[in-house]
Amino acid sequence: MASNVSATYRATASSKSRGIDIGRVLTYVILLAGVVVVVVPFLWMVSTSLMTLGEATGRAILPRAPQWDNYVQAWEDAKFSEYFVNSVIVTAITVGGQLVFCTLAAYAFARMEFPAKNLLFTLLLSTLMLPDALRWIPNFITVTWLGRIGPIAWVNNWPALTVPFMASAISIFLLRQFFAQIPHELWDSAQIDGAGHVRYLLQVVLPISRAPLMTIVIFGFIGAWNALAWPMLVTNTPEWRPISAGLMAFLDEAGAHFHLQMAGSVITILPILILYFVTQKQFTEGIAYTGLKG
Amino acid sequence: MKVRKLFTLLVILALALPLVASCAPGPTPTPTKAPAATPTKKPPPTPTPVPEACAPATEGPLAGVDPRGQTVVWWHQHSRHREEWLLEKQAEFNATNECGITIVPENQGGYNDIRDKMNAGIATGEVPGLVVGYQNDQAFYALAGGLADMNPYIDDPTWGLTAEERADFYRAFLEQGVHAAFDDQRLGFPPNRSMEMLFYNQTWLEELGFDGPPTTPDEFKEMACTAAAANADGTGGFILRDDASGTAAWTFAFGGDVSNEDRTGYMYNGQATIDAMTFLKGMYDDGCAYFFTEGYPNPELAARHVIFTQGSSSGIAYYASDMEALGSEDVWGATAIPHTTSEPVMDIYGGDIMIPATTPEIQLAAWIFLKWFTSPEIQAQWDRCSGYFPTRASTAELLTDYVDENPQWGQAMALLPYGTYEPQLISYQAVRDAAQQAFNEIIQGADVKATLDALTKEANELQAELMEE
Amino acid sequence: MAIVHQRTTPTPRPSMFTGRRWRRLKEALTAYFFLLPAFLIIGVFGLFPIGFAAYVSLHRWRIVPGRYRGLANYVKAIDNLAYVVAFWLVVIFLVLAIRALLQARRTAREHEDRPWLWMVPAVVTAGGLVQFVRFCVYLLPEVLDIGQKVKGLERTRELFLRLLGEAWGAPTVQWALRLSLLILALGLGLAFVVHRFLTHSPRNATYYTSFVLIFLLVGGGLILGWLTWTEIQAAYAEALAEGEQLEIWSQVVTISAGFVLLLIAWWVWHSASHRPTMAATLLRLGAAAVLMVGAWVLIGELPRVISAGDENWWKSLQVTVYYSAGTVPFQLGISLILAILLFQNIRAKGFFRVVYFLPYITPPVAAAAIFRVLFSGRPNAPINNLIGLLGAEPLLWLDEPDGIFQMIAGSGVTLPGWAAGPSLALAVIIIYNVWTYVGYDTVIFLAGLGSIPGELYEAAQIDGAGGGAQFRHITLPLLSPTIYFLTLMAVIGTFKAFNHVWVLRSGAALGTTDTASVAIFQEFFRNTRYGYASSLAIVLLGLVLVLTVINNRIAQERVFYG
Repeated sequence: MASNVSATYRATASSKSRGIDIGRVLTYVILLAGVVVVVVPFLWMVSTSLMTLGEATGRAILPRAPQWDNYVQAWEDAKFSEYFVNSVIVTAITVGGQLVFCTLAAYAFARMEFPAKNLLFTLLLSTLMLPDALRWIPNFITVTWLGRIGPIAWVNNWPALTVPFMASAISIFLLRQFFAQIPHELWDSAQIDGAGHVRYLLQVVLPISRAPLMTIVIFGFIGAWNALAWPMLVTNTPEWRPISAGLMAFLDEAGAHFHLQMAGSVITILPILILYFVTQKQFTEGIAYTGLKG
Repeated sequence: MKVRKLFTLLVILALALPLVASCAPGPTPTPTKAPAATPTKKPPPTPTPVPEACAPATEGPLAGVDPRGQTVVWWHQHSRHREEWLLEKQAEFNATNECGITIVPENQGGYNDIRDKMNAGIATGEVPGLVVGYQNDQAFYALAGGLADMNPYIDDPTWGLTAEERADFYRAFLEQGVHAAFDDQRLGFPPNRSMEMLFYNQTWLEELGFDGPPTTPDEFKEMACTAAAANADGTGGFILRDDASGTAAWTFAFGGDVSNEDRTGYMYNGQATIDAMTFLKGMYDDGCAYFFTEGYPNPELAARHVIFTQGSSSGIAYYASDMEALGSEDVWGATAIPHTTSEPVMDIYGGDIMIPATTPEIQLAAWIFLKWFTSPEIQAQWDRCSGYFPTRASTAELLTDYVDENPQWGQAMALLPYGTYEPQLISYQAVRDAAQQAFNEIIQGADVKATLDALTKEANELQAELMEE
Repeated sequence: MAIVHQRTTPTPRPSMFTGRRWRRLKEALTAYFFLLPAFLIIGVFGLFPIGFAAYVSLHRWRIVPGRYRGLANYVKAIDNLAYVVAFWLVVIFLVLAIRALLQARRTAREHEDRPWLWMVPAVVTAGGLVQFVRFCVYLLPEVLDIGQKVKGLERTRELFLRLLGEAWGAPTVQWALRLSLLILALGLGLAFVVHRFLTHSPRNATYYTSFVLIFLLVGGGLILGWLTWTEIQAAYAEALAEGEQLEIWSQVVTISAGFVLLLIAWWVWHSASHRPTMAATLLRLGAAAVLMVGAWVLIGELPRVISAGDENWWKSLQVTVYYSAGTVPFQLGISLILAILLFQNIRAKGFFRVVYFLPYITPPVAAAAIFRVLFSGRPNAPINNLIGLLGAEPLLWLDEPDGIFQMIAGSGVTLPGWAAGPSLALAVIIIYNVWTYVGYDTVIFLAGLGSIPGELYEAAQIDGAGGGAQFRHITLPLLSPTIYFLTLMAVIGTFKAFNHVWVLRSGAALGTTDTASVAIFQEFFRNTRYGYASSLAIVLLGLVLVLTVINNRIAQERVFYG
């Protein structure tokens, strides 16, 4: 890991520059062009969200006077406060479950030998290829029945919104990639100390897996925060509907009132943005492991 | 209050995140347990005492069915102020109805969402007590055996409608829910209706030298093209509506129909449809019409981006509010779609309320609410709130002051007698998609006659496929 | 308890290990215990839907189950190609079985094991598993029927439990269950006997599972083969009654022969590079070319078959291919360039990385809402305003069904359908996709670049290799695992794409943006043809699987795992 970090700050061979050279300028030009392309839609969103109706339907680029009221109106019309709390709860449960279940499964795949290991791993990855539309009906039937015979309701309650997402193939894959890179010496010395798999996992593996676990948290957060079609199917009231459902309903409602649409969009984007800024260091570190060999 | 809630939440988030970040290595089972304690947000419904009034009927087909104390869930698509009004009225009904019935209105998104949920619900047996939907949805649900016949409820001597009450409903609206394909069962009941209309900016028309809104297509095109020339950027004239209801409305206005003669199939290739499509295509080609696909076009009319728009009469209130929001002084109106017929022919539509097949008790309770909901007094209040048209004559009488305050709504209401309907066939949902695509193909340059022939063929095949079993 | 006690003692006592076998078993059991929760969830919510869809796809099914109709849904979708594919699936199943058998034999030879006795418990176990599937197939409709039974009754938990009990207790279901459990128990019992008394090898479990797998493959192949055979016979009988000519067999043979030739050609081509002499190489290449031509002629039958299938579905597949081909190279190319630039010694590296990543974490509903307005087709939409400033005419963007190459060529030239390219509307959706994922790919590329040892570059520099040569000979090969991974994810992603395509879909684009997922969604939810939609979804799943396998094959050759 340490070598990776130092590698990031090592220049590639082509930087043999003295003073201002053309290649260097070009590099910054391209990178900044990328920034512009990425940022312009966001700037347009923020700008429009502060316009009056007249400015938003016209050709204005910037609002003459920022209309902060738009946010208040969007917040109240879309009842974001309810959806917000729902999304936070649903996200917390989903991510919590993912941390436990995916860690266990990933550890088994990375560090243990058992029959049919490859078969199970292939099976796991094959679920990645399933078109989502295919899942809705059978899964709806499943959660209905689980609610009918189980102790708590599933439909219109947190289980239907969280449990199906607690074991994510991509999260298991990502963690497995990381666990597989942990040097064998650690396991050998742990065994000499008399540690079994459980203790090794809890005391040695997890403390050094902060970055990938953080990545799982963020992936889980993004997934749960953005979920739309499935929550609409398994909830009947706003009582448990997440924020994307709220935003979708609001976008339809606001119709061509772009200023309100964009104010609502800003409101939903903001939390995930804050989360990202707070955690981006670990996240970038952790996400890197998804692409590595292993 | 709400702002404070948001602030609290943000603070909690901001506090929680570093915490999560710092203790990420500990995926102990606690995160699953802690939130699990919170799920019960809703207080349990207070049990209602069973009242003496409203006792079960002793005779008739509904004898012995006891509606008292039932809870009826109602899936609807109304949101914002309509939903708020519904919740208010629901509280009133729950508190005052002598049967102790509890009605629970639940917004389920749009009509498409409701259809998806009903289909999934019919497959698993989880359906509500009441649900909204169009006439083709009724046929569809009925095919899967998911709906109750309402005739026994309407006709029942104890719970049904009196002869006067029945006569008070506009006959055509009431008969729309009766399906010949399903042994004349009554599968829907009309709480409200709307109409496809042309919206126009009167002030702008006068500035351009016209007296008032057009009545014929030719006048319409002339005005739209003049306005488009005034704006000179591709906007200004008319915003096209590619929805199947738009196609139907223009066909009606050109004196034709999209149903075949006995209304058992489709006929999109009649001369009227061909003429109407050719006319609209001509407007598009001459730069007098354009598309606006990001939502309802009301702000465009209010901002003088366009002089004519087309849409449902239920949007009148939104046009009014956008005019106000933009501070526009323009006089605007809603009128009939320009027609070649001597009298206008208006496309009237609207969702019905259906009673899904549940238990006899819930079904009866659902009907009792429906009867209350469509009583003139309540319907008048509902129309004021929603901008919909009433479905019974005596409601209209209660709305005279509303008409005075909302002249456009009065204009539209006066056109109710000229109404006709779109197909109510089981396949109409799929056919609507096909019709929309055909409309777009024509506007993009496909041959009008050939496209409409193909559409008619496809539509009738879809119908045949669905009725096959 | 004993184990816990052992753990607390500092020095491991030899008595704890009753041999390697016990430790192995313990580890396997612990592993299964670790996997259990995740696989319970994945089994119920990820794998069951596949089985369910396969079952539904064999029926006429509108909201509620209808009658069994065999492969008819598949035939409707891809016409006689369904039979060809079914035939090939049988072949593939058998080939896989033979390969597994050979593998087992090789292992046995290496270790001088005699595993053949394992065939007996394995065949019984496989039979039990097949019987268990039969039990599921009997139980499923009984449970689904409960939805109809509860009509008119009050839905209480007791009622559901009772009805579920009835479904469970139905005679056919119970018989299938008992039979399957009996056979499974017998199989496991036999396995125990073999393991305990007859063969002693540490690889016993491996032999057992691979033999079970072999028999399952053979059994599955036979069942599918039988199903296809009867279907074809029925189709012929029907055609005979109506006095029509059918070409199923001839098509199966021609198309299959075409693919066999293609396979051989590929193999010959591949082996050409290992020839010692130039002449041999040329000869091989020539032979491969001839075979290839022959193969294409035979496969030329395909378009005719395809055009007889569901036109809408083929169109959506074409759109999907355009979408994928338009997205993946740009997405990977741009992010690779950005990653390489960022990897140099530049300022504000963190800033760039954070900014590029923003679109990926933006909720798609919000991002799509922004794009829908920006790229609206109305004359006064933001992007149209922008190009208006540059003096261009407004475009229809998301409402434009014309192909982009056609638009570039101008209306004077009429390009054939396939050459017109993706519609402008689809191009906007491609832009959206690239915009969203470039940041994600860049970050992963950066990590890949970071893991390349710097000494390699230093050595290359000493050898006098320039920047381009270094990139070709060091960066690309060492980055290939990352490229492989990202390509795979991007291809799967584009083939599955639904949400943003759906939100950005406009009627005016005339279905030129309807990818396969959208087509499936339409059949499922708008037309409620559950049976047909399921068969389409299975076809799509098969297609993605094939692409993954091809991707894997290429990866095996090209990816350099340093």
